[in-house]
Amino acid sequence: MRDEREALIEATTTAWRPRGPSAEPRPHPAWADLDPAARLEAHERTRRLRALEAALHPNGLSTTARAVLARIGV
Amino acid sequence: MPGAGDELVPVAEGVDDLLPAIGAGDATAFARWLAGAEGRLRDSLRSFATRVDTEAVLQEALIRVWQVAPRFVPDGRPDGLLRLAIRIARNVAVSELRRNRLDPVEIEALERAAHRDGLPPVPDRAADPMLRRTIEDCRRQLPARPAAALAARLESDGAEPDERLAEHLRMRTNTFLQNVTRARRLLAECLRRRGVDLAMELA
Repeated sequence: MRDEREALIEATTTAWRPRGPSAEPRPHPAWADLDPAARLEAHERTRRLRALEAALHPNGLSTTARAVLARIGV
Repeated sequence: MPGAGDELVPVAEGVDDLLPAIGAGDATAFARWLAGAEGRLRDSLRSFATRVDTEAVLQEALIRVWQVAPRFVPDGRPDGLLRLAIRIARNVAVSELRRNRLDPVEIEALERAAHRDGLPPVPDRAADPMLRRTIEDCRRQLPARPAAALAARLESDGAEPDERLAEHLRMRTNTFLQNVTRARRLLAECLRRRGVDLAMELA
């Protein structure tokens, strides 16, 4: 049970999101299976991961930033 | 997309200095603004985190910021584009709450909570070359499979779901996720040994 919860939280920390009808980012499928405490944990864990990703990138860009730049055609 | 070879220095100037270039459609200036604004924008959505997927909301808000930037007129106060971005992000979050038919009273309470949080403080560790070298050193010490899972996430730039990344690495999705978790924890341990405060946050 704990492993399953952990895997669901980790799954939501990716910057990948499915697209809606107008190509807008939609919630990660695993997010709907999280209880409120796990959703908060997912938000916090993602925040920390993005800080790490930005620190590792030569231009300070996290995977979120890079996903958005790809979307706007950069 | 601005990459490792481009002359793009992470945000050192005030983000407001980038406004004219962003408004003129300069994507490199927008990337630089993004590097400085993302964390604060994400923090501004924290009060919505139990009700909306803040990553999806944040990405949609950032795309809209880019779209409206050419029409944005600064009010002379600092962080003009960031304040606009926070308003847009909260509006996207509220639209999502309405789409999910959340009780309007609860929506109002969440909006009030978000306003109370105010403008998040500026992060103090953006673009620190020493920190980057330390993280890279720790990353090099990761065992092969956690290192591969973390690299796949970083290199995909959010373009592919974990299922596909796992497939490329010949891992089951659950194994891939366990390796991402393991990479994060091992990095945290390594950084803690080196006295980096990011370690506490990654643990």
